[in-house]
Amino acid sequence: MNKYFREFSAAAALGILLLALAIFAPSFFQPQPLLSLATREAPTLVVACGMALVIICRQIDISVGSQFAVCSVCAGLLAAMHWPLALVLATTILIGTTFGAFNGALVAGLGLPSIVVTLATMVTWREGLRWLRQGVWVDLPNGVQWFGLPQMTGQWTLVLVALAILILLALTLKHISIGRFVYAVGSDAEAARLAGIRPRMMTFGVFVFMGALTGLAAMMNTIQSPQVDPNSGTGLELKTIAAVVVGGVAISGGRGTLWGVFTGLLLLACISPALTHLHVEAFWGKAIQGATILLAVVADGVRTRKQRY
Amino acid sequence: MDKHGFKKILLRHETILFAVLVAEWIFFEVIGRNFGTYDNTCDILRHSCEIGLLALAMTPIILTGGIDLSVASLLGLCAILFGKFWRDAGMPIPLAVACTIGVGALAGGLNATLISWLRLPPLIVTLGTFSLFRGLAEAITRGVDTFTNFPDSFLFLGQDRWLGIPAQAPFFLAAAIFFWLLVHRTTFGRSFRAIGFSPEGARYAGIPVARRVAMVYVLAGIVSAIAAIIYTARLGQAKADAGTGYELFAITAVVLGGTSIFGGVGSIPGTLLGVAAIAVLHSGIAHALLPGEMAGMLTGVLLILALAGSTLPKMISSLRARKAALKIPPQAA
Amino acid sequence: MKLFIQKLTTFLLLASIAGLTGCNKSVGPSSNADGNTASAAKPLTIAFLPKSKGNAYFVSCAKGAQRAADELGDKLIIDGPTDPDPARQNEIVDNWITLGVDVIAASCENKEGISTALRKAEAKGIKVITYDADALPDARSFFVNQATSQGIGYALMDEAARLCDTNGEFAVITGSLTAGNQVAWRNYVEERRAAAYPNMKCDAVEACDDLKDKAQSETTALLSTYPNLKLILSTTSLGVPGAAEAIKQMGKTGVVKNIGLGLPNENKRYVHEGVTQSVILWKTEDLGYLTVYAADALAKGALKPGDKTFKAGALGEFEVQGDNIMLGKPFTFNKDNIDQFDF
Repeated sequence: MNKYFREFSAAAALGILLLALAIFAPSFFQPQPLLSLATREAPTLVVACGMALVIICRQIDISVGSQFAVCSVCAGLLAAMHWPLALVLATTILIGTTFGAFNGALVAGLGLPSIVVTLATMVTWREGLRWLRQGVWVDLPNGVQWFGLPQMTGQWTLVLVALAILILLALTLKHISIGRFVYAVGSDAEAARLAGIRPRMMTFGVFVFMGALTGLAAMMNTIQSPQVDPNSGTGLELKTIAAVVVGGVAISGGRGTLWGVFTGLLLLACISPALTHLHVEAFWGKAIQGATILLAVVADGVRTRKQRY
Repeated sequence: MDKHGFKKILLRHETILFAVLVAEWIFFEVIGRNFGTYDNTCDILRHSCEIGLLALAMTPIILTGGIDLSVASLLGLCAILFGKFWRDAGMPIPLAVACTIGVGALAGGLNATLISWLRLPPLIVTLGTFSLFRGLAEAITRGVDTFTNFPDSFLFLGQDRWLGIPAQAPFFLAAAIFFWLLVHRTTFGRSFRAIGFSPEGARYAGIPVARRVAMVYVLAGIVSAIAAIIYTARLGQAKADAGTGYELFAITAVVLGGTSIFGGVGSIPGTLLGVAAIAVLHSGIAHALLPGEMAGMLTGVLLILALAGSTLPKMISSLRARKAALKIPPQAA
Repeated sequence: MKLFIQKLTTFLLLASIAGLTGCNKSVGPSSNADGNTASAAKPLTIAFLPKSKGNAYFVSCAKGAQRAADELGDKLIIDGPTDPDPARQNEIVDNWITLGVDVIAASCENKEGISTALRKAEAKGIKVITYDADALPDARSFFVNQATSQGIGYALMDEAARLCDTNGEFAVITGSLTAGNQVAWRNYVEERRAAAYPNMKCDAVEACDDLKDKAQSETTALLSTYPNLKLILSTTSLGVPGAAEAIKQMGKTGVVKNIGLGLPNENKRYVHEGVTQSVILWKTEDLGYLTVYAADALAKGALKPGDKTFKAGALGEFEVQGDNIMLGKPFTFNKDNIDQFDF
């Protein structure tokens, strides 16, 4: 119980929020809006899974928002050129992977600090995209939205894909060796190296995987509407890092589960619609989000008062 | 080996950065119009004052191995509180300034308590306060309220020249000297580096780690408040979204200046050069009539080159060491 | 001591290289080295400031502006903030002052804040004109007004009332809570509602941070919170398509109406599908075109305070009310006419 205190407290907070909504704003619990909310957050969940891996590995990636934006626009442009959607999907994932590989090469290959590398790539990709697109949206041809499937099917497909990725990754992290290696490298890279794991390869791999997931998420986002906004993905890094941290993943690496991340993301994603349903004015949104993050972290800190000094 | 030879100085991070700054200056002189003029130099100084202050405050924090993402949001919060103190509470400007600085110190104290007393990771705490402070600013103004019509005697601070130099320059200079003394000439500064290298080791060495760490965050809060006041004077208006994005700018300047994000290594002159390099780049791009996005892209590239540049000598020497080790002939049996 | 001397020498060496190249004389606005007075033949430099770069609305204004500049033979510089910090526009204007442009045409994010910089420009002999969003009147010569804030707010409310038969609940999606002109429009919408349509009720105002995706999720939340909602009104062009998608996905097409400020191209699809009923805007290219012509005329002295009309190239005559050059009234794009426009 102690080991999973963070995850349980995040789940408890979510439970309290849902309870409050059930009492004061039962209109929150309607199937179609909840499905729309889930579909909207499905790409974020995919990216959050990747971010969890990166943070468990004791790195960080704040360039995901810009990567997401570039991949979304590329997916949109390719789809607008009438490429077959399967090929667009593969190419978008490939583009994301390339971005991830670039980050990974600098971090693992040259040993540069990941926060600064990803800060630099975030700014570069974002400004580059702005320069090239100048804010113009990409219009998608008919048949691209929901892969041409009816809306309900499309929405359920996206949600199930995101959940499938979550479950697969969670199982891998727990039971498959390479998943355990991520924890090992995050806990103590030198010990991992002595144990025969290659920390630099693992670090590189984690960034590449993050890039691939971002590409996939971008595709999942693109097919949700008939236009692509080049500003999509703004604030994604903040959202996913907050979800990961609220869900119990330690920023110092080596600890955390994807179930916690799932709970954390649900909690943060529900705040905004909850405020609307509870008739709270819009300008309280950011303050409440910040307070939630702080409370989550403080709750853990008060309990453990880990020896850092 | 002559550690203090010319070659060593030339290869120091700060010197190379200074050379890059000079190269930038000359480049934009050539391709830009009216770039190197006195007016423009004053403008560059005026525009980079607030970010410079934030970067100065960020340096000791990063030296201790921490980080503070909330400085810019605190700038926004202090700006609107300053407006509120002056307009709604009817305080005279000096009193409003004092109260704002007090609020800044309190907010910095919040970060300090969570980070040094509860020992929570600075990245996450300041990520939370980043949203919280900005959110409070939006909530207090209901998102829409702005504060304007400040008296001219106050606006002088941000917009006019005093004895020929921009009025905020003396404040910036004073802050720079203060931080330089703090980091490079006092035991506080040495303790920051020690904490950055190894918090445990510093504790064993008798350094009051928790107090020192708390100090740097409170200091950052105070500096954010001062920056907020200068920002309001420069713009002539206080809004909740003041200073959006400044924290990343400040971190970039600090890292560009040679401070290691892991802590323990860094310098104030380096930070100042970093701020100057980025400010000159932005101004130069504008005067060369190049698209503004290029400034952002080039900043990213510059940052990576600076990082790679400081790692390269280490890599080369470790490669050489490995090569030399391989050359040792095997011992005769 | 030796170390200090070495450091000092290096510093001085590099600094002097920079300093020597810094002996540069300022080139001011419209001043020629050979003493020519600014004649009509010399090309002017017009600096065009949007509220933000990379915003499709301003991109389309800029297109008209460029066309006008080409016709007049003037040089057009376009630069704008790429991030939301309020001080960015001031910094850009400061840069233009030292660059020595002839005229500045600005759309102002912060009325009071930008006036600080614009007054400085005027003091240096640079002419200042505003368009789309005004500064304080003493900081500029003329304001090219596409439609007053009041006109826009009233037009939105009137259209909303028309679609709801002056009775019902509606919600507002705004861009950011802090953007000056959106605040003004919201206030006029409310003013009009209170005065003319007391049976209409505004349930909530939500911000979408100028993100289409966020507008969609906010609208979804609004639709489920307020079951009697009849209409969504967006004061940002990013809001209308996002809200439309939300309405469509909730299956409420036609039940909940969708209107707002927006560009025709981004909304054509939804208008034809019947999800969005009308989009209100004005001819953005014409706005840019008129602005540049006015800027040019102002710099050359052809446009003076007290003029009653102004002729702008191919677009013809425009009315001048005081110091406002009127583009005209807001235009409503709907199913019948939206295909005629491409911007």
